[in-house]
Amino acid sequence: MAYIHLNENLPGIRALFDFRPETAEPLCRLADVLLHQPNSLSRAERELIATYVSSLNDCRYCQTAHGAIAAYQLDGNESIVAQVKRDYTAAPISDKLKSLLIIAGKVQRGGKQVTAEDVENARRFGATDMEIHDTVLIAAAFCMYNRYVDGLGTWAPEDIETYKPRAAVVAEGGYNRIPSDIRNQQATAAR
Amino acid sequence: MKPMFLREVEENPHPSPHTNLIRVMQDSGAEYPQIWHLFAFRPDATEHLGKFTQEIMRGAASLTPGMRELIAAFTSYHNDCPF
Repeated sequence: MAYIHLNENLPGIRALFDFRPETAEPLCRLADVLLHQPNSLSRAERELIATYVSSLNDCRYCQTAHGAIAAYQLDGNESIVAQVKRDYTAAPISDKLKSLLIIAGKVQRGGKQVTAEDVENARRFGATDMEIHDTVLIAAAFCMYNRYVDGLGTWAPEDIETYKPRAAVVAEGGYNRIPSDIRNQQATAAR
Repeated sequence: MKPMFLREVEENPHPSPHTNLIRVMQDSGAEYPQIWHLFAFRPDATEHLGKFTQEIMRGAASLTPGMRELIAAFTSYHNDCPF
């Protein structure tokens, strides 16, 4: 049970988007720019950064939902997602992504944990300023989303299978459609 | 002011309100918060952060704007973020 009166049919952040559509709109648009719109980092890489940060924050809804989207973007390879969460240094991902995950992990502990050496290290592995910038913003944004979801006590399904149909929809269509989907659901429910 | 970690972020502002603000402050030799560089570098992302902030801080709600700024200042203090 959430701490405030939400639509209990909706899990995680979806219940919060439904509760407060005015703030849902920019939050979804930010997620779309960071995770879905064209970028030199692949969608899978960006979802892995979001999933990793969410797992560090112990946010079940976000790490499972974005882990499912990452797996979808990786042709269904769930083991890479599990490995990144367990020990990304041993995961079959590029050294560049590993260097960005070091930075993302530090942002999760606190922005001041990131050092000039971490940034230099990522540059050595070929990361551009835009990629480092986006990594930090994804990590910082997910700390916000994670705290938003858990700070209001939203529920999250335990079975990863239940996340997969929506993961496919979001992986294909992006995040910008979420606010209008919610408005349509609310209009249907009101009738 | 100390240079930022990412030179390109500092040196490649895109047309945006913050880019104009930075120019005014630099021309007058005054210090300014470097978060402006973040907003000027990637306005397609940060415009949504700005809209979110506007809504949560100033949108119609029963908490007064002053109360909301106090919550933000209190949280930033505990995150050791002076700005």
